[in-house]
Formats: sequence, C-alpha cells, structure tokens
Amino acid sequence: MARFKSNDIGTPFVNALIIFVLCIWVIMQLYPVFWLFMSSFKPSLEVRAKIFALPRSLYLENYNFAAFNKMNITLHIYLKNSIVVAAFSLTFLTIVSVLAAYGIAKLKVIGKNIFIVAFLGLMGVPVHGLMIPIFYFFVRLHLLDNVIGLILPYTAFNVPFAVLILQSYFRQFPDDLIDAARIDGCSKRMTLFQVVIPISLGAISSVCILNFIGIWNEFLFALVMMRDNAAKTLPVGLMGFKGRYVVQWGPMMAALVIAIIPTIIFYFIFHRNLMKGISVGAIKG
Amino acid sequence: MREQLADTTFLLPAIIFIVLFIIWPIIQSLALSFFRWDGVGPWKFIGLYNYEKMFTRDKYFYLALKNTVLFAVVTTIGEMSIGLVLAILIDLGIRGWKFFRFVFFLPVALSQVAISLLWVRIYARNGLINRLLEILHLESLHHVWLGDARYALWCVCLVSIWQYGGWHMIFFLAGMQNIDSQIYESAKMDGATTMRRIFSFTLPLLKNVFFIIITLSLILGFKNFDLVYVLTTGGPAHATEVLATQMYQHAFDVHHYGYASVIGVIMVVVALIFSIFYIRLTGYRKEIAEL
Repeated sequence: MARFKSNDIGTPFVNALIIFVLCIWVIMQLYPVFWLFMSSFKPSLEVRAKIFALPRSLYLENYNFAAFNKMNITLHIYLKNSIVVAAFSLTFLTIVSVLAAYGIAKLKVIGKNIFIVAFLGLMGVPVHGLMIPIFYFFVRLHLLDNVIGLILPYTAFNVPFAVLILQSYFRQFPDDLIDAARIDGCSKRMTLFQVVIPISLGAISSVCILNFIGIWNEFLFALVMMRDNAAKTLPVGLMGFKGRYVVQWGPMMAALVIAIIPTIIFYFIFHRNLMKGISVGAIKG
Repeated sequence: MREQLADTTFLLPAIIFIVLFIIWPIIQSLALSFFRWDGVGPWKFIGLYNYEKMFTRDKYFYLALKNTVLFAVVTTIGEMSIGLVLAILIDLGIRGWKFFRFVFFLPVALSQVAISLLWVRIYARNGLINRLLEILHLESLHHVWLGDARYALWCVCLVSIWQYGGWHMIFFLAGMQNIDSQIYESAKMDGATTMRRIFSFTLPLLKNVFFIIITLSLILGFKNFDLVYVLTTGGPAHATEVLATQMYQHAFDVHHYGYASVIGVIMVVVALIFSIFYIRLTGYRKEIAEL
C-alpha cells in the first residue's frame, strides 16, 4: 500500500516526529479501550477510586454471569440472538445477492440498467425512515420479538450494496469458463452453482465480512423490534446498563468487554478484508 | 424472450426483499405522514396537518434539525482532517505502518452502543476526563460534560470523530494507492521534497475521494441515531436532539406515528438528494452506460 520506504523521509528527525505523532494517536485511540479492560478487573469501588491505576489484582467477580442475570442482563442470551440474526441474515443475503448479481452481470435480464440505478439509489435510503412501517408490518404478523423481524430487514437493507459489489466482480469473471460449462450441458443455474460460485468464494466472503459488522452492531431496528428481554440482541441488551439509578461500574465494564471481544477477534482475523472492501466498495477507480 | 424471462427470475428474490422492506415501507411512510395514528386505532386522515405542525409550531424540530446538520458537518470535518493526516503519514511508509493502520481502523468496527456506553463513563462527573483534569490541577475545567447543554453536542461529536477517523483514513489511503508512482518519481527527479509532493500532487489528485467521502460522511452523520441515543438520549433538555432521536421518540415514546413519519420522509428526501451527488461522483454513470 505505501510506496515509500523509510529511507525516503527526509531526516531521521522527521521520521521520529512522524512516528511520535502516530504513537500519540495510537494512545488516544487505544487508551479508552485499555482503560475499559483494566477497569473490568477492578471491583466497582476501586474503578472509581483509583481510576487510572492498574488493577490491584485480577478481580474476576465482575465477570460473574450470575451477577448479570440478577440484573436481568442476560448476556448469553443476547449473544445467542446476535449470532442467530447475523448468521441467517448473511446466509439469505449471500443467496439473494449472488443470484441477482450474476443475473445482472452475465445473463439477459430485462432492464439491467434500471436495476443498477435502482440498487444505487436504494443504497442511500436511510433505513431509519422505514422504521415505523416495518415495525407495523411485523406487529401485524405477531412477529415482534422474533429474530425473523430482524433477519428479513437486515437482508433487504444490505442487498443493494452486496449486489452492486458482486455484479462488478462477476462482470469480470471469464466468460470462457461459463461457456465451457454451458457447452458441457450445464443449465444456467447449474453453471452458477457448480462453476462460478466455487471460484468466487473470495468475493462472496468479502461481502459477508463487510456486512457482518453492520448487522452485528445494528441498534435502531433491534431496539424497536426486540422488546422482550429474551429476544434482544447484544447492542440492545447492553442498554440495560443505562438508566439505572445506581450504576455498577465493575460489571458494566466486564459486560462491555465481553460484548466487544467477538468484534475484536473478528477484526483481528478479517481486518485486511474489511479495509479492502470498504475502499473498493465506494471508490470506483 | 423466454430466455430473458427465465433469466430475470435470478433477480426475483432480490426484488421481493427490496420491494417488501424498502420500497413499500417508503411509500407507507409517506402515506402515514398524512394521517394520525397511535398504533392501535385506525389511521385518521389529516392531510398536511402534521407537516404544518412540524414546520410552524414545533421548535424542537428546528433544534433537532440544527443539531443534526451541526453534528454531520462537525464530525465530517473532524474525521476527515484526522483521516487525511493519518493517511498521509501512513502512506509515507515508515516502519510499522501496517500496525498503525490496524489500530486506527479498529474503533470503526466496534459497536457504537458499546463505545457510547464506555464514553458515558469517560465523560461522567467522576469519570476519566474530569479525573485527568484533577490530576493536572485544572479542576476549574471540571464539567458534567454530557449534562451541560453548552458542551453536550460537542462531546457527542468528539466520540464520533474518535471512532471514525480511521474510516476516512482508509478511504484516503485507497485513493492514494490509485495514484501512479510515476508521478512521484518524476516529481522527485525534478527535486520536489516530500512536503511539496504531498501538497502539489497527492492532495489535488485526491479530489474525487474528497467529494465521495464528504458525501458519505455527511449522510451518515445526518442519520446518526445510536451514538446520540446511547450517550444522551437527546438531552440534556433536547440539547443534543437529532432528527433520528426525534423520530424515535415521536413514534415509540408518545406513539404519534404519523407525526414521526414526517421526519422519516424528510430523511428519505435528503438522502435522495445526496444519492444523486454520490452517483455522479463515483462514476457509476459510466458503468451504467457500459451496460
């Protein structure tokens, strides 16, 4: 990504200055998170009393799930719900957008241009504006507090973006492979599933990775749809810590740590993918 | 012709999802804005009453609008500045740039809810910031940050800037990657210093990226809900109220669904305008033409 190696930067002084500035910002970015981790290992009183100090000892009581349950913050349930919603949303999203993208890119679809323009326009729709009708839709179906109430909208909201990315990728997919498959007798559907997709797993997984973050962290719709405690996803569940008259800092810190660890692990594994996807998705060179 | 119909079925699932959960709700939102509805009874047609009330008699609407625009602009400027500086520094390729890029992009992936809950503690009366001021003997600067109407919105903006500087950075880095090295080579041969290179070559060539990131950032700032809701819920006394939180409260706190839909409509209209800019900027027009 960077094209200049360190010997290209003026004097060693400038080099050191740059690194110094960057390090300062690293501290600014990481310290809050570091403080969070540290605080989670202190009993509540110590968190407030000795706010900057390292924990005196690894106080693990904050991580006691039973304590969470007593506060009616059932982290394990929230985690489960988030996982279910994310898994199904991404699955549906993949199926729907791969089909559509392939159709637009390689097949004789009626009115291709209209679809692309439509998807582009839909990408910009603020889904907040759709909150009420969608809420009402699921209320009438008695599907409030049901994960399907999140899975279907999440899929729909991410389809335009996913289709646009995938169709761009499929357009560059070599036609020879497709023709060869067709000549060998594959139907269009078979060609897609047995030839194109196995080769395109990289692009498809990229789409999933990109959309996972948005789905996992989504808050507004989850807040609106999931009222019952047993149905809440992680972001909504965490709100249980807000608005309490007497806030227990210790357990809250621990809960936040537990909540962001999956994201951090995900980031550690997929950060390159994420970075590439974000820039490619928006900058059409 | 038959082949065309069969091929179009590939798009059917996508079409169903989009019509059902995006297009139809937009129409419903628009329709609902002309009615009064409390969630249980029937819809009561009241024409432009909601619009009239919101534009002429709702002072909180204009406050929320002002805050929303302010938030979007301030966070865009802040995030972009930081992102650009970071991108320039990282693009220089000093040792360890990969580590820096990794760290700076990390907050972007985290949940706004989790970050906001953390920052509530940082901003608390006995939280990190005030304690830091104490240690530096600057107690006079003590504030109840999120509870002070003068500073609350700025504090909220700060959290967003903290979180999303890295996002802008990645965009700029990608744009910089697209710049042909040849340009730098010839510039260097002509004796250009690094600073000169940055200002005379890199920045102008990033013009397109600038426009794209500004558009994206403004629209995202405009519809922000999570950060504001978790940090302050629009308080204190509506000081940090934004359009999204207003809409949520009108709909789900007081159950004026028709009234809330007006805000929904406004947001969709504004987004549409931005979308048009965006399509022109990213060159999708060319892509459409290619089809």
